[in-house]
Parts: sequence; structure tokens; C-alpha cells
Amino acid sequence: MTRALFPVLVLVTLALFALSLLTGPAGFGLRESLSALVTGQGEAVTLVMREIRLPRAILAVLVGASLGLSGAALQGYLRNPLAEPGLIGVSGSAALGAVIAMQTGFAASFALALPLSALTGALVAVLLILVLAGPRGGSLTLILAGIAISALAGALTSLALNLSPNPFATAETVFWMMGSLADRSFAHVWLAAPFMILGWAVVLPLGRGLDALTLGEDAAAAMGIGLSRLRLQLVVGVAACVGAATAVAGAIGFVGLVVPHLLRPLVGARPSVLLPASALGGAAMVLLADIAVRLVLPERDLKLGVLMAIIGAPLFLHLIYKTRRAGA
Amino acid sequence: MTLLSLDRLTVKRGDCPVVDAATLTVGAGELVGLIGPNGAGKTSLMRGALGMLPHSGMSSLTQMPALARARHAAWLPQARDIAWPIAVETLVMLGRTPHLAAGQRPSARDRAAVAQALATMDLTGFETRPATELSGGEQARVLIARALAQDTPLILADEPIAGLDPGHQIATMAAFAGLARGGKAVMVSLHDLGLAARHCTRLVLMHKGRIHADGVPETVLTQANLAQVFGISAHLAQGPQGIIFQPLEVLR
Repeated sequence: MTRALFPVLVLVTLALFALSLLTGPAGFGLRESLSALVTGQGEAVTLVMREIRLPRAILAVLVGASLGLSGAALQGYLRNPLAEPGLIGVSGSAALGAVIAMQTGFAASFALALPLSALTGALVAVLLILVLAGPRGGSLTLILAGIAISALAGALTSLALNLSPNPFATAETVFWMMGSLADRSFAHVWLAAPFMILGWAVVLPLGRGLDALTLGEDAAAAMGIGLSRLRLQLVVGVAACVGAATAVAGAIGFVGLVVPHLLRPLVGARPSVLLPASALGGAAMVLLADIAVRLVLPERDLKLGVLMAIIGAPLFLHLIYKTRRAGA
Repeated sequence: MTLLSLDRLTVKRGDCPVVDAATLTVGAGELVGLIGPNGAGKTSLMRGALGMLPHSGMSSLTQMPALARARHAAWLPQARDIAWPIAVETLVMLGRTPHLAAGQRPSARDRAAVAQALATMDLTGFETRPATELSGGEQARVLIARALAQDTPLILADEPIAGLDPGHQIATMAAFAGLARGGKAVMVSLHDLGLAARHCTRLVLMHKGRIHADGVPETVLTQANLAQVFGISAHLAQGPQGIIFQPLEVLR
């Protein structure tokens, strides 16, 4: 089953990527769109394909893969299927950075001011976590530090909205926090991609250590796994992935929680195999959701994060129900 | 050949020494039973020796780099953690982790070690079952098989036979004894003094963090030691296969 899984996931992701390129309010034909994308013939259609839909589809892949991978890695490290990328507080802090930028008007000062502020928020969160959780601490201190930072970032975000003098900025902020990939450009891709690819490069090699952690921290340490280093790598990698994803797309929940859950039975529950599988699965899921927001309510700018939660929560309930029945 | 040596190893929890200046060496061919009441420091002694607890004094294992240590000593923790429903064979293959480079596929030698470990623990036929769906005793045997598959000269096991049925308790102790006869060294903590007396070549009796007695079972399992350390009386007799131990009553 595992052998067939990866080709299937790659094919599904590629198909959804193509479908994402062909989805939008400007109704171009299939051949017209693709030839414009490749050859650059036809000014309007080329502009739409290359400057609007292509970066949007690429960002969906980057964001989805980053969230899926981060979720699988955190679940593996914490040995808990309920862990999700927001747990270590980085997404909350990145959102806080963005909110401050929007409320102060800094976000309007230049094109990438908003995502850069969000990345700064993520960086502050990582440094705080590493200080709070200490170099030798176990997984529990990491969770507690993450919860504390999430709570603080959430409170400060609320404070910024609470004290906001400008209702327009508040509305903009609230909509931004719902998460979306609409109207993103290649500038967003170039900003987020290096962080995400760095994150993937740091997290993907952790598979071996996460496999060993299946048997507990003591057993893993005795099998030669350096747990302090593993944890440092995990925090830095997940923060790079989640911070960059939040910076360009806002808060998109449930991907990192549901995707590893869906794929775990298909990879024999091995954390090392689940990492790349969840990256592909996350990319496919965000592509699919981002196509859906454009098809369901094309005029109303349905937010990606909202749709994801509406699909994700019942899916998750179904999984819990199935798990409960299997356990009973 | 010495496979483990501790020199005045001390492990502290706060100000209280849970292992107090423990000195011992374990050589090839020994099956050492680590005995003592709850809280005597058995687990802390082994975890301290492996460098998993802050300690003072010397342990030969902590002087090795992590990977060399993982190839020298296997550790079977008391907590039987299996986080994910992975297949039994996959779980036991985790024991080969120190022998495999990152991303390297298991070789025929690794698979042979796993098959051997599964056979030793009477788990042939369980290979594809999800480990989390087995009974507690079966899970314990799978975890022992993982430690055996690590194929190290030294094995440290914390209460490996607790919760096993009598047949598998004896089979596990016999397997450890066989490994010791084959030139490895095994240190197990256990509470079944009868099995300890029957299978171990040497017993180390711990009491309040100190090594109270150390030697062949006959010299350690004495009425005086049992009364002082465990607070029990026992029937001790010499049988054809070594000392026979039957606890009788609590003295206090």
C-alpha cells in the first residue's frame, strides 16, 4: 500500500495544481490558458495565468506541504495525534506580527511589509520557545512553552483589535486572519519559499529519530538518537515552515492536524514515511480547498481558512468516531 | 572482558542521593540480576550508568559517544511505550537504528537479526500485526525483541519480565542466560527473586541507593539480607539447579 501511495499522492497533487491554474473568474479555455502560460501569447490571459493563478497555485503547494509536514513532525515528536503546527505558538505570533503591521499602517508602507512583519513575529516566538523550554528539556516543556506563547500572542492580537482606532484596519485584520491565497504575487512566493524549503530540509531528515521516539524518549536516546538536537531541529524547521506559511496566507488550521491523521494508516503508522506523505497530502488538500473557495462562492471571496475549518472539523470528528470504534 | 564499569556512581534527586556511590564491573558471560525493594535505586543506577540522569562518579558508558554507546549497550526501559500502531517487525527493526546510516535500507544482516530476535521471544507469526493491538505481555516481548535485535555486547533491562506469563518469564530469563553464555553481558532488574536465583550468575542487591550485597545468588540471598533489606523471611534450599527461594512472610 505504501509503495503505491507516493505515486498516487504526486499524481493527485499535479492534477489539482493544473486544475487550480484553470480555475478562476476569468473564463479562459483550456488550450488558451496553457499556451499563454507556456508561450506568453495573448496579453490579458498571460497576465492572469502567470501573475495571478500561477503564484496562487505555487503558494497553495508550498503552504500545504509546509503545514502537512509540520503537523506530521510535531505529532511524531510529541507522540500525540492531536498535535498540530500551531501548538508551538509560532502561527499565533506570526499573526500578531501581521496584525501589528496592519494596525500601525506599516503594512501599507511597502509591498512585503505585512509578511515580513509576520515573519518577525514568528522569529520572536522561536527565540522565546528556545529560551523557555531550555536546551535539555523534554517534550512537555515544549508544549507548555508553546501554549503560553500562543495565549500571549492571542491576547495581544485581541488587544490590538480592541484598541484599534480604525474600523477599516480592524475589518482588514479580521479578514486577513481567516487565511487566504487570493491576490498573492510572485513576491510572496519568493519571500516564503526560502524559509519553507529551509524548513523542509531541516524537518525531513528527522524521520529516523521520530521512528525511534515511537518507543519513548529513553529508548530513543539509548538507540543513539540525540534528542536535544532533534528538538532544536524540529522547532527551527517547524517555525520556518509555519511562520512563512502564516506570513503569506494567514492562519490556515486543520491541514497539519487532519492530513497526518488521514495518511497514517496508509503508511503503516511509521513517522518517517508519514513526513513526506503528509507534505504531499497537505499540498493536495490546500490546492483542493483553494479551488473550492473559488467555485463555491465566486463573488463573495470565501476565505480559505474558513472553508478548511468547515471541511476539516467534521472530517476530524469522523476520524475520532472511527478511532473510537476501532478501539472499542 | 569488562563491558560495564561504574566507579562511585552517584545520582541525586534534589539533595537526596537515589544512587549512592555505586561501584561495580560487569564482564562478558555474566547475567546480573539487580534486585532490591521499590525505590532502592535500581532504575536510577541503570539510567545513570547510561548517562540519562545527571550524576557524579564514573560510568564507562557515558564516556562513549552516543552512537558507539548505542552499539555497545541496549536499554530496555520499564515503561512500555509504543506510540503508534506500527507492525511488530517494523518495531523490532528499530533496534537496528544504531547500525543503519540515515536513509539506509536494512540489509540481509539486519533482517536476520530481527528474525532471530522474534524467534527468541516466541513471536514468529506476529510480524505484520500492529504492535499496539497485542496484549500487554506480548507487547513486553516485542519490546524485549527490539533490544535483542540491537545486538549489543551489553543489555540493560528494567523489569523485562514483569507481567509475562510464567512460561515466557522463564523463556526470557533463559534467553538472557543464553546470551550471557554466548559472551554477552546482561543486567536485569527484577522482583521475582526465585527466577533471579535460578537464572542469574550474579545478584546485586540494592538498598536505599547503596549496593548492599554483590555476588553469586547463594551469598546474596541470605536470611539476614532478606530480613534487613526486604523485611521478609523466606524458605531457602539448595536444589539440583541452584538455590530455591520461596518468600514466607513480612517481618515488620
